[in-house]
Amino acid sequence: MKRKGFGFYLRIYGKILAQDLKSKMSYRADFIISTIGMIFTNIAGFLSFWILFRNFPSIQGWGYYEMLFLYGFSLVSLTPVQCLFDNNWSLRIHVYSGDFIKYCFRPINLFFYYQSEVFDIKGLGQLAFGIGTIAYSWSQLGLGVTPLMLLKLLVFLITASLIMIALQNAAAATCFWIQNSFYVLDLVTRFKDYAKYPIAIFSPVFRFIFTFVMPIAFIAYYPSIVILRPEEVPLLSWLSPLFGVLFFWGSYKFWMYGALKYSGTGS
Amino acid sequence: MSNIIEIKNITKEFKVLNRREGLKGSIKDLFSRDYKIVRAVDNISMTIQQGEIVGYLGPNGAGKSTTIKMMTGILEPTSGEILVGGNVPYENRTKNAQEIGVVFGQRSQLWWALPLVESFKILKDIYGVSDKDYEDMLALYQSLVDIEPLLHKPVRQMSLGQRTLSDILAAFLHNPKIVFLDEPTIGLDVSMKAKIRTLIHALNQEKHTTVILTTHDMGDVDALCRRIVIIDKGKMLYDNDIEHLKNFFGSYRTLKIRIDGSLKQLAEEIDRKLSDFKVSADDEWISILVDEEKATVMEVLSRLQQSYKIRDMQLEEISTEEVIKKIYEEGVQ
Amino acid sequence: MKLKKYLTLTRAGIIESLQFRLGTLVIIAGNLLYLIVVYFLWKAIYASAGTDIVNGMTFSDTLIYLVLATALFNFMEMYIVWEMGRAIQSGKITLDLLKPMEYRKHLFWSYSGSFVTQFFFTFLPTFLIVAAVTHGAIRFGWNLLFFVISVVMAVSINYSIDFLVGTICLYTESIWGINIMKQVIVMLLSGATIPIAFFPEPLKTIAYYLPFQSIYNAPLSILLDGNPQLQTVLTTLGIQLFWCAAMMVLGKLFWKVSLRQITVNGG
Repeated sequence: MKRKGFGFYLRIYGKILAQDLKSKMSYRADFIISTIGMIFTNIAGFLSFWILFRNFPSIQGWGYYEMLFLYGFSLVSLTPVQCLFDNNWSLRIHVYSGDFIKYCFRPINLFFYYQSEVFDIKGLGQLAFGIGTIAYSWSQLGLGVTPLMLLKLLVFLITASLIMIALQNAAAATCFWIQNSFYVLDLVTRFKDYAKYPIAIFSPVFRFIFTFVMPIAFIAYYPSIVILRPEEVPLLSWLSPLFGVLFFWGSYKFWMYGALKYSGTGS
Repeated sequence: MSNIIEIKNITKEFKVLNRREGLKGSIKDLFSRDYKIVRAVDNISMTIQQGEIVGYLGPNGAGKSTTIKMMTGILEPTSGEILVGGNVPYENRTKNAQEIGVVFGQRSQLWWALPLVESFKILKDIYGVSDKDYEDMLALYQSLVDIEPLLHKPVRQMSLGQRTLSDILAAFLHNPKIVFLDEPTIGLDVSMKAKIRTLIHALNQEKHTTVILTTHDMGDVDALCRRIVIIDKGKMLYDNDIEHLKNFFGSYRTLKIRIDGSLKQLAEEIDRKLSDFKVSADDEWISILVDEEKATVMEVLSRLQQSYKIRDMQLEEISTEEVIKKIYEEGVQ
Repeated sequence: MKLKKYLTLTRAGIIESLQFRLGTLVIIAGNLLYLIVVYFLWKAIYASAGTDIVNGMTFSDTLIYLVLATALFNFMEMYIVWEMGRAIQSGKITLDLLKPMEYRKHLFWSYSGSFVTQFFFTFLPTFLIVAAVTHGAIRFGWNLLFFVISVVMAVSINYSIDFLVGTICLYTESIWGINIMKQVIVMLLSGATIPIAFFPEPLKTIAYYLPFQSIYNAPLSILLDGNPQLQTVLTTLGIQLFWCAAMMVLGKLFWKVSLRQITVNGG
C-alpha cells in the first residue's frame, strides 16, 4: 500500500490535467472571454503602475525599472497559485452545499485530489506578461545574464510562489470553521497587490508586521532583492526558501485538519 | 462467512451552535454565542458479514449518515470501536478508502465535464486497478446494462438516472469489499429505479460485495435487502431479517368489508363485538385490523357473516412501509 | 404598502449580514491593511516628488480621497454579477422571476440590507476617523448634503452597471471573465484606485466622458473641494443624474430584450 509515491501522484495529475484541458476547450466562449479578462487585468494593473510612477524618477531610492522588476516578479510568482490552486476558490461553495464530502472517500491524498480537479489555464497569460516584464526591466537595469543569476531567479520565484500558495490555502481553509470565508480569501488575494511595493517605504513597525505577522514581503520583495541588489541582501532573503517550504507545509496541515474536522459534521 | 464490519458500542457527540431568532437575536449573537451537545449516535453495535445487503433505515436526522461517516473513516467516534475489514477506519482513512465505494444519490463524484470513460480511467489509476481487472469489470458492466452509449457522454449532459447509474458503476469499479449507497434511487422514475435495483443486486451477487443501503424508499428495501437496521435519534431500534420484522408486526392483516347501511354506525357495532381488534370506517370500507394470533381472518369473517350481509371484501397484508412507519412513530415495544 | 415589501428584504439582509461577524471583522482588518499600504505608498511618492502638491492634490487630499474611496467601495460592492451569473447557471433565476417583483428591484432590495450594515460598520467609522484625524480637511457644510445625494446616485449607477453586466451572463457561461473585465474597468476608470487627477491628459478626458467616474470620483470631489462653486457642484450632480437615468433605462431594456430572447429559445 505504500506504493503511492511522487510518481504515482504526478501520473494521476497529468491525466486529470490533460482531461481538464480538453474539456475547457469545449467551453470555447468561456475560455476566450476569461482570457480577455485576464489580459484586461494585466493591462489595467500595468496602467495603474505606469500612471503612478511615470511622474517620479524614484521612490525611496527605488528606481522605475526596479519597481517594474518587482511588479513582474510578483506576477510570475502568483501564477502557480492561479493555475494550480484555483479550486480553493470553490472550496467554500463545496463545503456549504455539502458536496465537499465526495472528495473524502478516495484512497489518495485529499488535498491533492481536491486541487487536481481544476487547472486554471488563464494564469498562463499572466505568466507570459510577468516574464516579459521581468525580461524588459532586467535588460533596462543591465543586470547581465549568468547561469547563477537565472538559478537564483528560479529558486526565489518558487519561494515566493510557495508563500502565496500557503497564504491562499490557509485563507480558503477558514471556510471549514466560519461562514462567509469569502472575505478572508478576498483579503489574502488583495495582499498580492501590496506585495509589489518595496518594503523600504514602510515604517519599521510595519516592516516587522509585513515580514513576520502577515508575510507579504516574502511574495516579491525579499526574494527579488537577491537579484536586484546583490550587495545588500538581508539574511531574511536567504532564509526565505526555508520559510516558503515551512509556510506551505503548515498551510497544508491546516487545510487537511479543517477538511477532516468539517467533513465529519456537515451532512 | 467472515465479518466485514464490526461495530461495538459507538457513540458520537457534536457541539452545535444555538442561533437566536430575529434582528435582536442576531445582534446578541454578535457578542455571545451558546452551544449545546447533541448525541447523534448513541451506543450502537452491529456486525455485518461479507456479501450482505443491509438496509440502513431511519427518519431524517436519525444519525444514519453520521454512522456511515464513521464507517468510512472521515469521522472518529466519541467512544466505542469500529473495525472495517480488520482496519480502524479513522486511523487509516486512505487505506480504508481503497476497500470501499461510496455513492450519494444526489451528488455525483464523477468529473463533471469528462466523458464517463475518462472518469473511469482516472479512477482506475487512483485505485491501482490492473488492466485485466478493469477490462473484466467493463465487460461485466456491459453484460448488465448497456453502458456503451454512456461511456462517451460527459457527465454534465446525463440525465439524473444515467448519472446515478454511472456513479454506481464507478463505485464498484475497483471491486471494493463494501459499497455504501446513500439514497441511490432518489428522484428517479419507476423504470429507472427498477433498473438500478437490478444492477445493485447483480453486482452484489457477482462480486460478493457487501452493500450498505440507506434509503427512504421501501421499494429499494423490499427489492434488495434481507436484513434491515433501523435507528432513530441515534439509538438502534431494530436489527434483524426483514421477514422477522414483518412477522413481528405482520401477524396483523387488515380485513376490509363493505356492508349496506351507515358504515360508521356499523363499525361501532362491530367494534363492540370484536373487542380484541381495531375497527375503523371510511366512505367505502370498514377496516378491521386482525391479530392472527388471536383469531384468523376466516374466523372473523364467518362471525361477521352471521350478522351481516357482506357485499364485498378485501384483504391487505401490512407493507414494509407501514411497518417502518409504525416503528418510526411508536418504536419497538 | 409598497415600501413595506422592500423594507422586509432590507431587514432580512441586515439579519443575514450580522450572522457573519467574522466576515465583518475581516473586512475591517482588510481595510486597515489596505489603508496602511496606501498611506506609506503615497507618503513615499510625495516625499520623492519634492513638492507638496502633485496634480493639484496635497498628500492629505490624496489620502482622504483614497481612504473614502475604499470605504465607498466596500459599501457599494455587492457582487451582483456573480449573484446573477450563478442564479442563471443554476436555474434559480426562474424562481426569482416568479416573485411578484421585478427581478432588478428584487435583487437590489435584497442587497439593501448590507448597504445599511456596511454603512454603519465601515463607512461611517472610516469617515469619522478621517474627519477627526485630518481635522479640518473635510468641511462640514452644505457639501455634506450634496455628497450624500451624490453617493445615492453613485450607488444607483454602480448597481445599474453591475446589473447590465450581469445580464450578459444570460448569453455566456463565463461569469469570471465577464466580472473581472467589469471590475478592472470600473476600478481604474472610476478613480477608485488612483484619483483621476493623476491620469495623463488624454486618459483623463476619456475618463470624464464615461459613466464610471460618477461612482467614486464625483462624490469624493464634491466632498473634498476646498473652494466649491455651486455651478461646479451642480454640473457634477447633473452628469451623475444623467448617467443614473441612462444606465437604469439601458439596464432595464437590455434585461427585457435578453430575457425575451432567452425564453423564446428556451434558454
